[in-house]
Order: sequence, then C-alpha cells, then structure tokens
Amino acid sequence: MNKHYTDLANGVKMLCINSEKFKTNCVKVDFYMPINEYFPALNVLASFMGHTSKKYNTVKKFNSKVEGMYDAYFDVSISTIGEKVLIRFTMEVLDDKFTLDGNKISEEAIDFLVQVISNPNCTDEGFDEEFTTREIRFTLENIEALKNDKRAYSVARLRQLMCKDEPYGIDHEKLEKEVKKLDSKALLSAYNFMISQATVVITACGSISANMLTEKFKNFVQSIENREPAKLETIFITKADEIRYFTEEMEVNQAKLVMGLRAGMQNNNDNYYAFRVMTDIFGGGPYSRLFTNVREKMSLCYYCGARLVREKGIILVQSGIEEENYEKAVNEIFNQLDIMKNGEFTDDEFNSSVIALSDAFKGVEDSPSALCNFYTAQVFDEELVSGSEFAERISQVTREQVTECAQKVSVDTVYLLKGEGAK
Amino acid sequence: MSNIKEIKNELLKDCYYEIDHSSGFKIFVYPKENYSSTYAVFGTKYGSIDTCFKKEGENDFTEVPEGIAHFLEHKLFESEELDAFARYAKTGASANAYTSFDKTCYLFQCSGNFEESLEILLDFVSNPYFTEQTVQKEQGIIGQEIRMYEDEPGWESLFVLLRAMYHNHPVRIDIAGTVESISHITAELLYECYDTFYNPANMALAVAGNVTVEQVLSIADKMLKPKESKKVERKFQLEPENVVKTYDERHLSVAMPIFAIGFKENVKTPERTLKESMVSNILLDILAGSTSSLYEEMLKDNLINTTFDTEYFEGYGYSAHIFNGESAEPEKVRERINEEITKVMKNGVDNETFQRIKKKHYGSLIMDFDSIDSIGNSLISAYFNNEGIYDQLKLLESITVEDVNDRLRTAFNIEKSSMSVIK
Repeated sequence: MNKHYTDLANGVKMLCINSEKFKTNCVKVDFYMPINEYFPALNVLASFMGHTSKKYNTVKKFNSKVEGMYDAYFDVSISTIGEKVLIRFTMEVLDDKFTLDGNKISEEAIDFLVQVISNPNCTDEGFDEEFTTREIRFTLENIEALKNDKRAYSVARLRQLMCKDEPYGIDHEKLEKEVKKLDSKALLSAYNFMISQATVVITACGSISANMLTEKFKNFVQSIENREPAKLETIFITKADEIRYFTEEMEVNQAKLVMGLRAGMQNNNDNYYAFRVMTDIFGGGPYSRLFTNVREKMSLCYYCGARLVREKGIILVQSGIEEENYEKAVNEIFNQLDIMKNGEFTDDEFNSSVIALSDAFKGVEDSPSALCNFYTAQVFDEELVSGSEFAERISQVTREQVTECAQKVSVDTVYLLKGEGAK
Repeated sequence: MSNIKEIKNELLKDCYYEIDHSSGFKIFVYPKENYSSTYAVFGTKYGSIDTCFKKEGENDFTEVPEGIAHFLEHKLFESEELDAFARYAKTGASANAYTSFDKTCYLFQCSGNFEESLEILLDFVSNPYFTEQTVQKEQGIIGQEIRMYEDEPGWESLFVLLRAMYHNHPVRIDIAGTVESISHITAELLYECYDTFYNPANMALAVAGNVTVEQVLSIADKMLKPKESKKVERKFQLEPENVVKTYDERHLSVAMPIFAIGFKENVKTPERTLKESMVSNILLDILAGSTSSLYEEMLKDNLINTTFDTEYFEGYGYSAHIFNGESAEPEKVRERINEEITKVMKNGVDNETFQRIKKKHYGSLIMDFDSIDSIGNSLISAYFNNEGIYDQLKLLESITVEDVNDRLRTAFNIEKSSMSVIK
C-alpha cells in the first residue's frame, strides 16, 4: 500500500509507519527552512534546544530525563539539504512492552519531544542568557573543529569555492563571525522564524499510533499564529564554464583531493535513478571505475570515491593521496569520467551497480531510524516511493541512460589540501 | 552431523541457534522475523596484538611484523581468479572487513542472493592466495590508509595515550602497523599467520536477519571442509604496573587541544570478566556521564564541550578507563577528574544515580537487538570471550552498588594514569 503524508496544519505533514517488528520506536520532527540571515542563529538554536528546555532547565535535569527513559536517544541536529536548512529533532525510545515497571515510555518520550519543541528555555525577552553564552561557545568550537577533520574540511572548502555565488557555498569564516555577534534575542527571533515559517515534517516508525501522535502535536502546531511556510528553492547549475583549480596548504600528512562536478540535473528528480547508477559505476562500490583503477590498479590511495548530492545536482569525488601523485590522480579521475561519457564501462560494472543499489534499498525497512529518514527525504516529491519500488526503478535504468547522464557531467572545481611547505 | 542448540530469551521474545558444525566450526544463526536483509560475519580471534605466537607442538615462538593481521585481512579478498569484491558484485551484497586489536572479521549485508553471497564469504576466507607481487601492491594502498589515520586527531590521541600507558603490550601499536613495519611483510609470513589463526579452534560464523538454519547449513555443509583445529599459544612480555609516562603530546593542526586521559588497571589475569566490563561502563557513566555533576560543572566552567566522552577499553592483557574530549585546558580537566574519583572513592556511589544508570544500560542492551549487524558482531565477540549474547541482560540484574564501589577502588589508581594531548 502506498504511504502518504497527511496534513496536520499549514505546512505541517505527518507520516506514521506502523511496524511491530522493532524493539524501538522512532520519531523525527524536521523543520525545513531556506538558507537566509537566520542561518547563524539556527546553528546555535539547534545546539541549545538539544541541551535544555523550560521544564528541564539544567543539563543535568535535561539529560537525566532522557536517560531515565531507558536510555532514550534524543538529538537535535542541523544540516543543509541542497539549499534548505534542516533542523531535525530525533527521539528513539524503547518500546513499551520492554519496560520493567509497565511504564508507557513512548508516550512519555513524545510528550518530552513536544515540550522541548514548543517550550524552549526562554522568556518573552529572549533565550536563557547563561545557556545562550554556552551554546554560542559550543557552536563556535564546533565550526572551528571542522579543521580537525581534514577530509570534511576539504569538502567544506570545495563547496564554498565551487558554489561561492549560491547559498550552498557556506563560508565558515563568515559564519563564525556572525555567530559571535548573536545574543539571546537573536535566538528567540530564529526560534520564531523556525516555528512560523519552516515546513514541518513529523515521521514516526514503530508501534506508536497515528492518533496519539496527531493528538500530541496538533495543539502545538495549530496554536502557532500566522504560520506561513517560507518558499524552499535550490539553484541547479547544470554546466560548469571551465575547470577551476585551487590548492591550499595546511599541516596535513596526506594530501586531500576533492573535485566538484555539475551533474547536469535540472532538479532533484531529473533522471535521478540514472544519475544515481552513473555515479555509482563511476565511484560507488568496490566494483566502480575509481576504486578498481585509482586504488587497485594504480595503488595511489586507500579511498577514491564519488557520490551524488541529489538535492543540489552535484557530484563530489574524494581521495587521499601523496602530494606528488596529484597530477597522476587527477588525470586518471578525468580519464575515468571520459570512459563513462563514451559509454565504455563494462556490462559487468553496469550490472554490479544496479544489483548493489537495488539490494541496499530493499534493506532500508530494517531500521526504524533509517525508515524515517528514507521517507522524510522524499517529502517534497510528488509521491512516496518504498524501498522495493526504489529498487525496481533502479533496475529499470538502461546503459544508454547512464551514458547520456555521464555526458551531461562537467567538472567545475578541483581542490587540493596539501602539507605546508610542500612543493 | 552438526549439533544444533536453540537458545531462547523470554524477555526479548527472540531466539537463536548455536551450531557445532561437522567441519569443526562454530556457527550462530539469529533469525529476525519480518526483516528483509541479512548480515553475515565470519571472524577469527586474531588481531593486531597477536605479534608473537607459536602453534601447539612447535618449539619456538614466531615474531611477525606489526600490522600483519590487518594486512592479511586486505589480502584475503584476492584469489587466483576473481577477487571477492568482483564476486560479490554479481550478488549485490555490500561486503567489508575489519581488524581490531583482538579479532579480524569478514562480513556482508544483503537483501537478496543470500546463499550465493555466503558461499563467496566462506570460500574466500577459506582459500588464501598471496604472491610477492600482490603483497607489494597492497603496501602502497595500506601505506595510504596509515597516512590517512595520521591526520585524524582522535585516533592519534588514543595511540599517544596507549604508548604513554603501556611499556610492552602490543596494544600500543597502531592496528595497521607503520609504513616501515608493513614493508617487512612477505607472502610467506602471511601464509604462516593464516595457517596459525584461520582454523575452527579460532573462528566462528554468525548470521542474523532474514535467514533460516537450513539456509546457512546448506552452504556451510558445502563450503566448510573439516579442518584441523590448532591451539595457539600467544606470548606477551610482562607489562609493568606503572605507566611509561604520565603525560605526552603530539602536534597536529587542531582547533583546540584534544585530550585522552587513561587510568591503567593492574591486571592480575589477562582477561576481564563480563561483569567487570559491565560494572566499569556503569561506573564511567556515574563518574562522568552526561548526567553527572562533574560533566555539568566542567561544561559550566568552560573546561569541556559536548564532545566529552568516556570509554572502558579492555582486551587480552590490558584494561583502562579512558576520558576524552576537547579542551583549552586539558590539565584542569585532569585535575577535576582526579578530584571526582577521590571524592567518590571516599563517599561511595549514590544509589539513586546507580539505579538510573542501570536502567539506562538495560534499555540500550535491548535496543541493540533491533540491529542485525550489532547482533552478528556481538555473537562473534561474545563467543570469543566465552560468553553468550544474552548473558549481559541476565548479569545486569545482579549488579549492585557495592560492585560499582569495589570496582572503583580496585581499577582506578591516579598514580597509574596518563594523559595525551594533541595540539
């Protein structure tokens, strides 16, 4: 049976997937917003709301409440999906049938979730001052810590350089400066923006009833005055003009190579399944062109792979290499892309990719959290596709479609992070 | 004939099968109703710490280069004809392998073609094929894997700490070895290690998910040939009680110092009991978990951020309680932790906190049974430790606050602690 989201209020959608096979129940509440002037404050807000609320106004009270619900997992995260900001509240909790005292902890966990979202630790004047100061510190430390992970840092730099005129190209230095300027009032404004203008998606999986979930969230979402979801758009640039090369230095032992490619997709549904297979043959599993050639045949690296960012229509290629092998690696990656464009990948590679992707998507229904993520990722699509249906569509992709997709790909930016003082 | 035993758990309403296979191998099958995917893992109790050993009946110990267990893991995927990845590419399974301090595991997950994939797993792990040429090629790839980890500060801080704590125990060596040590690996040495550790006495197969005993046995009967079980004697040099040094640091470019503080336990016997491990984990939560006063106060005083965490780190011949995180003032964090340990040693653990943490551990133990990869890996680990996968649930009930107080007094000695800082 096809699943569909139901509307709870203007721009508030809900999907409840009933399954008795799990020992855990999972609820995710997603707030989708455009990347705009609120972005720095939303970063702090996500951290803040994950650590305190009006009712549980100290770290100890807050965490003890979560821990007391049999080690429920509660998290608030912020990420960007294409050019949308996503603040996600996740609650995973033991199913009621396993509690020692017969407690209905699923309901308790949902009450907690609603309370955290609807009743933050603030007054009419602004968010709690002490927590604001601390959460700004955490956010700044978190932004700076990107430098600790050289692979993630390189991807973030590529993204910024490649998409400098698009909201997707987040400038972390600028973000840091903006976060430093924030105060408790700015957090309150960001919160008000979130609840009144975000598109809200509630997804649950497990033994939780849809009626209970509706009951718990309805009052809150319907009580928000003048709710008007902001428009969510992402710029898709289908072709790069010319290849831009950037090299930066940092203290690294191994050079990190990242390439940004424009896939040629017009929007996130444009030939998606064929683009997915194409990217996978190019640099997905161990059967891919990049793995078998750059790693296995040429022994240049431990990892070399490509992934499609569907929501932005770009492809990212990543590898860790010795700096002296830079040209060799770049040329080989270009060479492999040309092979894709010429349709010279083998039938074996094509079949391997189709069967591996189909197999992986059939298995998505075996984890409550993965299941929630799978459906909520489709909330802006016209229809919801199940894991099996997804696998079916992958298997309908033809070799010709893959070649056509590859021909639309253009290399935009090549970025190298190399050791300081290296040649 | 294989001997099959059914093991049930009333609380979880789950069961699994323990099979003494006619080939001499131990097999576990854990069916999960209504799951669509299956996870299989074939492991050997052989990890990076096994660098000096002899087979039963031999006179002399063999010493092998550091990192050889991990190297062997990489090389086993190759065969004279198609390598294992190329064979899995035809079934669609997602395959991988990992080497830890004390074991090496080969695994795959799939939703279809289970029998074919299991056949590949059992076949390639049972049939080694190494040549000097393929060994050489791998040195380049693994060399880059080692270089990649050199850029990961969290990983580096753990090994700087282990080298500060341990004089002789091989846990102080990086799992992958060094670029230098792996240059001494030869095909002959790989065959010798394979012959010593890859036999029924030292291995087990675990399968969890959408699977039946009959399915597993149909393939195991065909692929697993009776093989002589070999007893292995491992040699570890005597490890002094004290630490090598109380402080060590390494420079890497990081935003804020990254620290790890370890309390070395004086182990009288090489292995810790399951109860000791569980009590240690409860104790760490009580001392410094997210609901502890220490955690809240250090957050307030800007000494730590939410990356702060604890870990009970143990294996054959080593045991340590570790605290790690990011801090501008790691020395102060260390002082606070020492003060807290001294205080709790004197006053004892509060019973209410103990009960809450115990409930937390109960919840997380049950929730782990939703995940087939977690079940598969736990079955292997538990077997190698002479335990059953349900033992923890039974044992948890019996743990008392006195156990926690006793463990604190016996396992923690501030004089025998080290700190590593990456800055």
